[in-house]
Amino acid sequence: MSVEKNPSEAMSQRDELEAMLPFYLNGTLDGADLAAVEDWLSNDPAAIAALEEAEAEFSVTTASNEALRPAADALSRFSRALDAEAGPPRTASLPSSLSRLWSRFVAMPAGVAWAAAAVALALVLVQAAVGPGGRGGPVDLAGTERADLPFVLVTFKPQATLADVATFLADQGATIVSGPAPGGMFKIGIPATTDADYERIVGLIAAQPFADTVTIGRRPENGG
Amino acid sequence: MVGMTAAPGQQTDRELVERVASGDRAAVRLLFMRHHARIYRFVARQTGSDMMADDVANEVFLELWRQAPSFEGRSEVSTWLLGIARFKALSMLRKRKEVAIDEDAAAAVPDTADTPEVALMKDDKAAALRRMVNALPEEHRTVIDLAYYHAKSVTEIGEILSIPVATVKTRMFYARRKLGEALQAAGFERGWP
Repeated sequence: MSVEKNPSEAMSQRDELEAMLPFYLNGTLDGADLAAVEDWLSNDPAAIAALEEAEAEFSVTTASNEALRPAADALSRFSRALDAEAGPPRTASLPSSLSRLWSRFVAMPAGVAWAAAAVALALVLVQAAVGPGGRGGPVDLAGTERADLPFVLVTFKPQATLADVATFLADQGATIVSGPAPGGMFKIGIPATTDADYERIVGLIAAQPFADTVTIGRRPENGG
Repeated sequence: MVGMTAAPGQQTDRELVERVASGDRAAVRLLFMRHHARIYRFVARQTGSDMMADDVANEVFLELWRQAPSFEGRSEVSTWLLGIARFKALSMLRKRKEVAIDEDAAAAVPDTADTPEVALMKDDKAAALRRMVNALPEEHRTVIDLAYYHAKSVTEIGEILSIPVATVKTRMFYARRKLGEALQAAGFERGWP
C-alpha cells in the first residue's frame, strides 16, 4: 500500500487501513489502496467491525451537515450581487418565480413530507423554450402552460429533497407545471418533441431516487 | 425504452463552467443551485457562523463568475469551489479575529449538538457519535466532513485544504481514533482500538 509517511506521525499499516475506510465507503479509493482495504476486509474479522463504525460515522456526519439550512433568500441575494457585479442582464434569465421557488425549497424544514410541503408551492412554472433536449440554453421560464406541452405525472418519495428535485428538473429542462393533485401527484412538463425524447426523459425521472411513481401523461403531438 | 435520439443525462459542471466563462448567468445560477447548500454547510461547519457561511458561500459563486475563464478543469468543479470556500472562510476568520468583532454572531449560530439534558434522554450510540463528531477539533472534523459528506478523495481533500496527502490520512486516522476513544469513554463499544 503506497502511503506517504509523515515522519512525526508515522502510522502502522493497520492505522493506515483504518484511515482509508472512509474513502472506501465514499467510493474514491482505487489502485493499491483499494486492494489493500478489500484484502483486509476479506481476511480480518475485526475489519468488518471497523467498517461498521465507519458507516455509523458516515451516517451521523451526513445528518449533521444536512441539519444546516442555508438562508431562504440565498439565490435572490446572489442574483442581486451577480447583477451588481456583471451589470444588467442581457436577457431575462431566471425569473422571480424560480427565485421564489428556490427560497421556498431551502426554507423548508428537513423531514417535511413532500406532498404537504409542496402544497404551499402552488407551482405554475413552464419552461418557455422547450426544444429537443431542453438543455444548453438559459433557463427561461414563463408563467403560462403551453397547451400541447407533453407531461408526466409523478409522486415523490417522502424523503426526497426539494433541492435535488429542482436541480434535476432544471438540468433536464423539465418543470413542475402543477400539483399536488390528490394523492400527492405532480404534473411535470417534459421538453420533448418526439416519443424517443419523451421516453428518455421520463425514464430518467423514474430512475431518480426521489421518484416514487411515474404515470405517463401527454406525449409529444408529433410522436416520432 | 425506444431508441435514444439524444445523449442521456444532464449538463456537467464543467460544461456549465464553460458557459459561465462565456458570460452565461443562467449557468452560474444552475451551478449555484447544485452546489450552494454544500458550500454553505462546509463553511458553516468550519466557522461555526451561519452569517459567515452565507457571506462566504455568496462570495464563492461570485468568484466562480470571475474565475470561470481561467478554470482549467484539472479538478472537479465541486473540489475547486470547496477550495475557494476554504480560502475565503479562513481569510474572513482572520479578519474577524483582527478586528475582534461580533462575538455574539457565534452564539447566534444554531448549535446542532443537543443540550446535556436532551442528550441524556436520547443518548444512544448514534446520538453520542454525532455529538462527538461535532466536537472534534476543526482540522479533524473538516476531513471527516469532506470524506463522508462531500465524498472527496484523499487527494481532493489535500487540494482543498492545501495539505499533503499524508497529512490528510494522518488527520483522518486521529479523527477516527478520537471518536473511538470518546465512544469508549462514554461506555459504548468500539470495533477498533
